[in-house]
Amino acid sequence: MTERIVTVPNKLGIHARPAAMIVRAAVEFDCEIWVESPADKVNAKSIMGVMTLAASGGTAITVSAEGTDETEAVEAIIKVVRSGFGEEMI
Amino acid sequence: MLFKGIPASHGIAIGSAFLLKVEELRHARRSLDSPADAEQEIRRFKTAVSEVRHDLENIADSMGDVVEGRQILEFLLLLLQDPTINKEVESEILCEMVNAEYALSTTLRGVMEKFTVMADPYIRERVADVRDVGRRVIEKLMGTEKEALKNLDQPAVLVAKDLDPSETAGLRPGQILAIVTDMGGRTSHTTILARGLGIPAVVGLQGITSEINPRDTLIVDGIHGHVIINPTGKELKYYRDIRDKFQEAENLLQRMNPGPAVTEDGVRFELAANIELPHEVEFVNKLEADGIGLFRTEFLRLIQENGEDEEDHFQIYNKVASEMMPKPVIIRTCDMGGDKFRTGLDSVREANPFLGYRAIRIGLDRPAELSIQLRAILRASVHGNIRLMFPMVTHIEQLRGLRDLLGMVKNDLSARGIPFNEKMQVGIMVETPAAVIALDLMLPYVDFVSIGTNDLTQYTLAVDRGNPKVADLYDSFHPAVLRQIDTVVRLCHSRRKWVGICGSMAGEPLAVPLLIGFGVDEFSVAPSLIPDVKKMIGVVTTCAAREMAEKSLSIETGLKVRALVHSYVVGKYPEILLDENDWKTGG
Repeated sequence: MTERIVTVPNKLGIHARPAAMIVRAAVEFDCEIWVESPADKVNAKSIMGVMTLAASGGTAITVSAEGTDETEAVEAIIKVVRSGFGEEMI
Repeated sequence: MLFKGIPASHGIAIGSAFLLKVEELRHARRSLDSPADAEQEIRRFKTAVSEVRHDLENIADSMGDVVEGRQILEFLLLLLQDPTINKEVESEILCEMVNAEYALSTTLRGVMEKFTVMADPYIRERVADVRDVGRRVIEKLMGTEKEALKNLDQPAVLVAKDLDPSETAGLRPGQILAIVTDMGGRTSHTTILARGLGIPAVVGLQGITSEINPRDTLIVDGIHGHVIINPTGKELKYYRDIRDKFQEAENLLQRMNPGPAVTEDGVRFELAANIELPHEVEFVNKLEADGIGLFRTEFLRLIQENGEDEEDHFQIYNKVASEMMPKPVIIRTCDMGGDKFRTGLDSVREANPFLGYRAIRIGLDRPAELSIQLRAILRASVHGNIRLMFPMVTHIEQLRGLRDLLGMVKNDLSARGIPFNEKMQVGIMVETPAAVIALDLMLPYVDFVSIGTNDLTQYTLAVDRGNPKVADLYDSFHPAVLRQIDTVVRLCHSRRKWVGICGSMAGEPLAVPLLIGFGVDEFSVAPSLIPDVKKMIGVVTTCAAREMAEKSLSIETGLKVRALVHSYVVGKYPEILLDENDWKTGG
């Protein structure tokens, strides 16, 4: 199990488009990946899950993974989140 | 495999099965019966998802560089493949044992609710995407079948649990041969739909949808409410015959004059039907025939393995007689042999089968078998107006033998307390010159006679009409035949017996005026000929007919007799009989 915490850096948070970017990154990996906010923990490969997490800008989220490529997976998701999804930062 | 249900719409259809799971069109909840069904639903769901994915990817490709559009589609694709949603649908199917459409719509409703309550307007807007994807999948789920129904390469029998008019409103009659459903009754939607389309339907066949596999051959008998899955060759042949006759009769009804057969001067003649299959009674009644003038019973040999089950005979006679009630039904005992199919048992190769072992010659040789048929006829005689007729009687001893046999059967029935009609009329076919010439000796033993013109012509002229080298010599208008008909009628009437005619001559337009003139009391023809014969009876006066009949007796050739009748009819009604074939051929 690999686990890392990251803060959502963009103003609008994880809405539909950012959620799609996370999911697209996640489905590249074989391992199980979760995204957890203070409110909920969801499957990172589920667009519905990531969207309903509704993590707003500035929220700390935990990215965790379990499986053979878990380290790379967590790394990739963190990278996408840190990029701010190409949007305006806080 | 035979299933019995409720006959909802009349007719016979034979075709391959098309299974429509119609409940899915409403994506209503349908409970599954077994884990295997659930597996099947999950497979169906997965197939639909992968089909939608394929569609979306194609659309995305066609968009090229339109970034906005591609993004939307990619989002839809992510939704479509969302493992959380898909797992929820699958577990809904498995745990709740419900159909895929229902499971999907329940799941998506949950997703949309979650989205709707989200604070983020960007996410709330995505509800429309969820709905879009859901709609695409559900359309696939139900559409695959609906689509297939539209694209049937050939018409099929629609098999469903139940049908709702809204779901089947687009069906065209040519597409669907018949409808078979688990549910429904005589007044259900399916029934109304089928009647509207004019196709046969059998409903209330509980559980039949699980017995039928796609492309199974089905016989749908909408008259009796029977459905046969993957019938035998024998059953197919039997039902094809009925179907064709049904079709023919339905067509005929379109050009029918209502009411009885009456000459122009108002004299009524009995116009009855020759039938071979019990189901024909229905059409005969629709055609307003005055009875069954000849019920051939050879078919029983075909549809039964042993051909000698009294109960089978009884059921059939009973059905025909009670449906014709109060009109008469003349049952002719088995007329095997001659040109008719024979069972292997009694076939010794004969040089002259027409002069050989046939009809009551077989019956008297095997009285036990004939007795079975006689018993059945007698038992049915209390349920309708049944008359009995023996074929091919040529010798008075035969007639005595038959009367004795009938007497014995009657005594046996009386002894057992089984009711029968004591006064059931008994007649003979007159179809040999012997029977004509010696008729006065036979008449005391019978209540009526019916002239079989086919055999009478063949035996009189010594012509086998099946032999093309001599077939042109076969002519029912030959003076020798006409004179015999005249003789028979005169003899019968002088003894106060009635006389019918059941050969194919009775259905020949040009023969009808002559037969009226000779004084024949009853015409019995193939159901399909009833409208034409009725029309023909309507155009002659008895007076003119008598004149023509009298004249015909001194005319030298059949052709000249035809010409005589032809000119009379055409003189009166130029619009009919313009077809030269009517009088040049016609045999």
